[in-house]
Amino acid sequence: MAGKAGMWSLVKERVQKKNIAARRKDSTVRTKDSISTVSCLDELHHDDNTRMAITMENTYQMGPYKRFSVAAVTDILEDVLTSYLQEERYEGEWSQKMTKTICEVIRARVKDLMIPRYKIIILVHIGQITGQSMQMDSRCLWDKSNDTTASYSFKNRSLFGVATVYAVYFE
Amino acid sequence: MDFFQTRKQYFLVPVNEDNRRCIEGVIGGTDYNQSKVNQWTASVVEHSLTHLVKQGRPFKYIVNCTIMQKSGAGLHTANSCYWDTATDGSCTVRWENRTMYCVVSVFAVAVAL
Repeated sequence: MAGKAGMWSLVKERVQKKNIAARRKDSTVRTKDSISTVSCLDELHHDDNTRMAITMENTYQMGPYKRFSVAAVTDILEDVLTSYLQEERYEGEWSQKMTKTICEVIRARVKDLMIPRYKIIILVHIGQITGQSMQMDSRCLWDKSNDTTASYSFKNRSLFGVATVYAVYFE
Repeated sequence: MDFFQTRKQYFLVPVNEDNRRCIEGVIGGTDYNQSKVNQWTASVVEHSLTHLVKQGRPFKYIVNCTIMQKSGAGLHTANSCYWDTATDGSCTVRWENRTMYCVVSVFAVAVAL
């Protein structure tokens, strides 16, 4: 029974993802020496499938009972990145699929930690190493006492992979 | 009912334009420079966050900026989120010029009011 329920929620997630992909909209702007493209995951108009935001009743809970464990998540990231990328060489098509796969795998494993009331955002970058330089920076506006982040970076001779997880507490 | 719907609607349009302008303002017209890229990423992220906060909406924000030198190398980025799709959203701006790529992602997570 539990297995069936698990599968049903997986199907629901996939269907939502498909709907979201169908609503993606890109817009490009060119200037004299630069091009920028904006991709939005959500469009402005309502579609009938959009769920209404739910009003939650007060729980009088002051903080999370179970905190997000940064060490455990960093271990997960290390494990996933190393197992998927250890012996691989960079290739365009393969890397595209692999980034998405790794994202999904990390999300599933972090969800398995069953930390309630936390929303999870996972970012994965895979790139080719050709002697170029790169800088990644991130800043968050959140509640420092409850929200946190974990990240891990992996490198081999032809590619690098960086995974970051942000966990945001939902009061 | 309407109040909760409009919380997410029309959130993303000003975000796109602000982000683009932030990037243009900081690195538009410049070439990739190893010694300055640290400042640039910090600057882009800071300006983006400031613009978002000015809107005064009940969201927690995560802004991520990546600047990479153009050298023929490939870069792939993916994100996956476990949140409430009715109230939370994300937006990505990809910007490039002759010498570098810049990707800025903004994630907005609703705060319960």
